[in-house]
Amino acid sequence: MTDRASFLAAIRSTPRGSDPGLLDRSVAPDAPTQLRDGEHRADRLQAEAESVSTVVHRVVATEVGATVVGVLVAAGAQRIALTEDLAPFADAVREAATTAGLSVVGYAEAASKRAQAGALDATVTGCLAAVAATGSIVTAASGAGRAGALIAPNHVCVVRDDQIVDGLHELFDGDVLAEAGSIFALQSGPSRSADIEKVLILGVHGPGNAHVVIVAPD
Amino acid sequence: MSATREDVGGTPLPPGWAQPAHQPDAFEISTTTFEQRATETMARPFARRAIANATDHAAALTTARFVGIDHDALRDKARQIRAHAIANLPDYLDQWIDAAEAHGTIVHYAADESEARRIVAQICRDEAVTRVVKSKSMASEEVSLNSALEAIGIDIYETDLGEFVVQAMGDRPGHVIAPILHRTKDEVHALFSTMAGRELPNEAEALTAFARDRLRHAFLTADAGISGGNFLIAETGEVLLVTNEGNGRLTTALPKIHIALVGIEKIVPRRRDLAVLLPLLTGHGTGQQITTYVTMVAGPRREQEPDGPERMHVVLLDAGRSALLGGEFEEALHCIRCGACQNVCPVYRQVGGHAYGWVYGGPIGAVLTPLFRGQVEGGELAHATTLCGACDDVCPVKIPLHDLLLGLRRRRDEEGCVPRSEQLAFALWGQVWSRPLLYRASTAVARGSLRVIARDGVLSAKAPLLRRWTAGRDLVVGRRRS
Repeated sequence: MTDRASFLAAIRSTPRGSDPGLLDRSVAPDAPTQLRDGEHRADRLQAEAESVSTVVHRVVATEVGATVVGVLVAAGAQRIALTEDLAPFADAVREAATTAGLSVVGYAEAASKRAQAGALDATVTGCLAAVAATGSIVTAASGAGRAGALIAPNHVCVVRDDQIVDGLHELFDGDVLAEAGSIFALQSGPSRSADIEKVLILGVHGPGNAHVVIVAPD
Repeated sequence: MSATREDVGGTPLPPGWAQPAHQPDAFEISTTTFEQRATETMARPFARRAIANATDHAAALTTARFVGIDHDALRDKARQIRAHAIANLPDYLDQWIDAAEAHGTIVHYAADESEARRIVAQICRDEAVTRVVKSKSMASEEVSLNSALEAIGIDIYETDLGEFVVQAMGDRPGHVIAPILHRTKDEVHALFSTMAGRELPNEAEALTAFARDRLRHAFLTADAGISGGNFLIAETGEVLLVTNEGNGRLTTALPKIHIALVGIEKIVPRRRDLAVLLPLLTGHGTGQQITTYVTMVAGPRREQEPDGPERMHVVLLDAGRSALLGGEFEEALHCIRCGACQNVCPVYRQVGGHAYGWVYGGPIGAVLTPLFRGQVEGGELAHATTLCGACDDVCPVKIPLHDLLLGLRRRRDEEGCVPRSEQLAFALWGQVWSRPLLYRASTAVARGSLRVIARDGVLSAKAPLLRRWTAGRDLVVGRRRS
């Protein structure tokens, strides 16, 4: 068996090619994902998310419970799970969902048995961040878990206005990822495939129905 | 007791459903010639049309994606990042390994294809794995992982929709990111209806739903998930996975073991480099702004996390890569596998991915195949190009594919792989065409000959003598003076 030392030694024994040097921050490239001057983050997040078939809702904090449950009921979801990162809105959502007659569990409990997680109709998550320029939500293993945001056919993500970052640079350079745990993940719109004759199909392995609820600052 | 296939999905699958009708020689490149393989695709009018349509579509989306952006400057940055990472590959790998081990990833080292197969098989034995869900991995195609695991009795489910079809048909992927580009909906419908034991609706949506159900059961019962990796982030020890279907993330979320097989050249120094590379990978691959699911994996599940695998194994694959470092063909290692060069290649667009005989098609396939598999097996591919340079113009990391192809042609000549008849013919051609009188005489003879064998000014597929040339095209014979 090849071990680390011999594996790397084989690579080190080769001549070195020319090295253009590492880009430093002062020459950081302008990726095509930057915000335009004066553009409002939440507006851009909405526009980009909608362009990849996410349904976006703009609400104030007191409307979160009713909005989320409205989406779930419209989708015909019965069994729903809430993830840890929904925290500030979890009680409101749970209460509204229970009133509407939905069956609500915590995601950690649902995920303790794969079959149970696989039978969920919907999950409701918070997020670690959202990226305005790409219309993405960012979830972490420590919050929504690895599969919390895509195990069910319907997904609703609640995003606070102060969680929105401009673009990928701000996300990767910021401190927000420090607490992510074993995974962080960007998710932009419903699951999709165009493998069969280029026909776009939503909802292959992940949700076909993806909602983002943007909560305005108080 | 190990789960059986019948546990997965309602109707039992017919025995051997995943066994290819024609078994491609598992561990070797195809033994046929490029011309024979190309002829097979050219004989399927749908495949030719579909490949041309799909590649046109993808190329147009890519162009549209970068309108209003200094695309060229972005490509320069990307090239710089890739060149720097490859020039310092051992240092960055060292850094990646330290960081990965620090968060509990178990790292393995595969010097070649057979070692990669042995390592993954051993992990599966040690972890008592009987069923595997797999998300798309070209590295696993390189090492023919599936047949090695099937040989020790493991059930494998390719979970990318296209790869699921490829596996069930015993086919090979026809494109780096669009595996069933060359297949019709009718073919998928017939296949899935057989698997279902009933006639499914012949619509993409219903066919996708069928695959989703089958694969969902596989996800919920598999012992291990096997993935590739789009990038390795040196500073954080992360493995990056991008998919549009979500199967990549589920592969690393649901089974108790996650195994990632990743080529060593996938290294990038820092997370922030992804702000350059991700938009290019996606924009050049599918024309999207960002892939639907981008997942950065840093080891197995941690305490307090609700889901995730107990163990994460990463198998670093060399298999011919380190041999390219510091040499004439090093830049081939800059490739980020977006598939854009295939989409614009006039040869690929006619003959499709299978004609290239191994894992990678198009210009990058014509470069990587002889480099990874040797001149004897892959050398002719450097000639399966027009040297038009369209691949250079589109490559998001500016690999000089045209120069690499020329270099491979030269190397093939130097190694004496060119038939003596061809050497003689070119020597004669050189003599004749460097003399004006002989040159004019030769073109007159050629024109006269065409006139004799053409009908109504068109050299059709039926014309004698030149059948190999005319089989796929008609040629209008030029007038005497234009």
